[in-house]
Amino acid sequence: MTRLHIDNLQVGYGNKRILNNISLTVEQGEMMALLGPSGCGKTTLLNALCGFLPIKQGDIFVGQRTISHLPAEKRNITMVFQSYALWPHMTVAQNIGYGLKVQKIKQKEIQTRVKALLDIVKLTGLEEEKVTALSGGQRQRVALARALAIRPDVLVLDEPLSNLDAKVRLAVRHEIKALQKQLGFTSLIVTHDQEEALVMADRVAILNQGNIEQVGTPEAIYHAPASAFVADFMGADNHLTWPIHPSMVGDSLAITLTHTDVSQQRQCQIYFRSEDVSLSPRLTDDDKISGLMILGEVMHSAFLGHDYRISVRCGAHTFQANYQDNLPEATSVRLHVPAHALHIFDHPSEASNAPLSNAVSV
Amino acid sequence: MQQKEAQKLWLIAPAALMVSLFFLYPLCFSLYSAVTLDGALTLSHLDKAFELYSKDMLFTVIIVLVSVMLLAILSISIAALITLSPFRSVVGILGFLYRLPLFIPFIVAAQMMRTFLAKNGLMNNAFVASGLMTPMDTISFLGWSGIIITFVWKQLAFSTLLISGAMAALDDAQIRAARNLGASRLRILFGIILPQIAPSLGVALVLSTVTMMSVLSVPMMIGTGTPTMISADMAFRVDSYGDYHVANALGLVSYLICAGLAWFYLRQSLKDKGAAA
Repeated sequence: MTRLHIDNLQVGYGNKRILNNISLTVEQGEMMALLGPSGCGKTTLLNALCGFLPIKQGDIFVGQRTISHLPAEKRNITMVFQSYALWPHMTVAQNIGYGLKVQKIKQKEIQTRVKALLDIVKLTGLEEEKVTALSGGQRQRVALARALAIRPDVLVLDEPLSNLDAKVRLAVRHEIKALQKQLGFTSLIVTHDQEEALVMADRVAILNQGNIEQVGTPEAIYHAPASAFVADFMGADNHLTWPIHPSMVGDSLAITLTHTDVSQQRQCQIYFRSEDVSLSPRLTDDDKISGLMILGEVMHSAFLGHDYRISVRCGAHTFQANYQDNLPEATSVRLHVPAHALHIFDHPSEASNAPLSNAVSV
Repeated sequence: MQQKEAQKLWLIAPAALMVSLFFLYPLCFSLYSAVTLDGALTLSHLDKAFELYSKDMLFTVIIVLVSVMLLAILSISIAALITLSPFRSVVGILGFLYRLPLFIPFIVAAQMMRTFLAKNGLMNNAFVASGLMTPMDTISFLGWSGIIITFVWKQLAFSTLLISGAMAALDDAQIRAARNLGASRLRILFGIILPQIAPSLGVALVLSTVTMMSVLSVPMMIGTGTPTMISADMAFRVDSYGDYHVANALGLVSYLICAGLAWFYLRQSLKDKGAAA
């Protein structure tokens, strides 16, 4: 396992460019998650890494070696596929041992290594099973063992959990992470599930329309998103454009922002998470607290399990807040978001000229 | 309820009637005619068929087997190129070209081959014109080799269509998975693709066999007379002697050869299914 370095990579189909100047480094033994919405180019990046797609420009290094123009079979990067891509005419052991057989390793050695891998992925005793007889979770473990069998320089995983049902997904997620820590392989995992990325990865790269928006530890990405897109994608589902036009808020309703460095004139986008909102049914007018204050009415509430997700209307805006009780419709409520939980970004028209690091955090 | 069942039977009646009238009745009649003379069972027609045409039967089997083997090799190669080649534009042209013979009837194909393969045909003329050969060196491909060439040329489109369809239906990720484990394209073809498309290959070859056994125009137009294929002998018995009994006996032999191949194929595919279960 070695360090993976992608330098200024451009990939496209015909005239359409899918990836723009991607530069990314995955350190030895690190698990990096590529996170982004559908169509942002995550899988294209993996395919380019594996050699399934030609690259237009840039370089890919594994250790000191450049692999950009090697064919897929010479790259020593293996992939775990969303569809598992197991070969149904082979047994579990044949699937796992295929790469070793291609490398002309002795049958005895193959058997020992397949056995060891089956132990690692907790499938001991299933060597002779047909892969079609296995459950989804088991199949994905076979696929993982098959990809690890040839000891690749880099392991890439293309949404490996999205075909599994919710409970199995959690189990396999932890297993892959535990295995990665145990064996220390360099890996790149593609996902569109932010929770999956936060739990599994050492670092996360957020991709949007073929560009990397931000790379950082899960904590950094979550708490200090570098752009409006990252904030939105990482679950800051409430959004408002500042300053508020009076016509957007009714007479009896109000949105105020106090004790922050956002002036009344500054044009910006404000994002915050529903779990950071404290909702109180009593309307008090407390000027001393800093942050965002919203007065509004309950539109509806949805039961989430341990609490309720309350939708609150304030003029033309709708905000989401978590609250422990159910609230009847049209109840007047006050929402408060502390200043540190607000993610504030300059308005796109202004921000387009400014670098991303100019995003203000309060 | 019962009335409803009866109504359902009426629904299939027209189709069933057509099949029995135009397929089952002639089939049974031809079998009956092959083994009877004036209502009494006899093997004399079969005896006569074997006595006169056993060489032709052997010739037919060899022609069909050689053609089927060539077909398998060629259509697997073309389908594999289409599926695995990294040169997408060449593949596009190949994908278009291989389909052309699908739309050409056997009799037209046979006529084309006659003018192409003859001693003074298009192929030899082209060689002579390009200076590769003198007119003295040219040889005619009319005869057994011409029959094989025509059968393979005509059936190639059909069997490649079936085989490349089966290959395209495989999950592309299976091929990619093998590639990034280090397998070459040839290895992927034999280790990953062929074992999975074997049933389609079987269907393509069995159907091609049956088609070749039943074609009359190709052995008549390209064959040199003797030995020839069973279908030509059947036509000859009927046309020249009005001898339907021996023609039907030859038909029976033809059925048996096809049935033998079909049995072999079915046994093989059942064996594979048994292993999978």
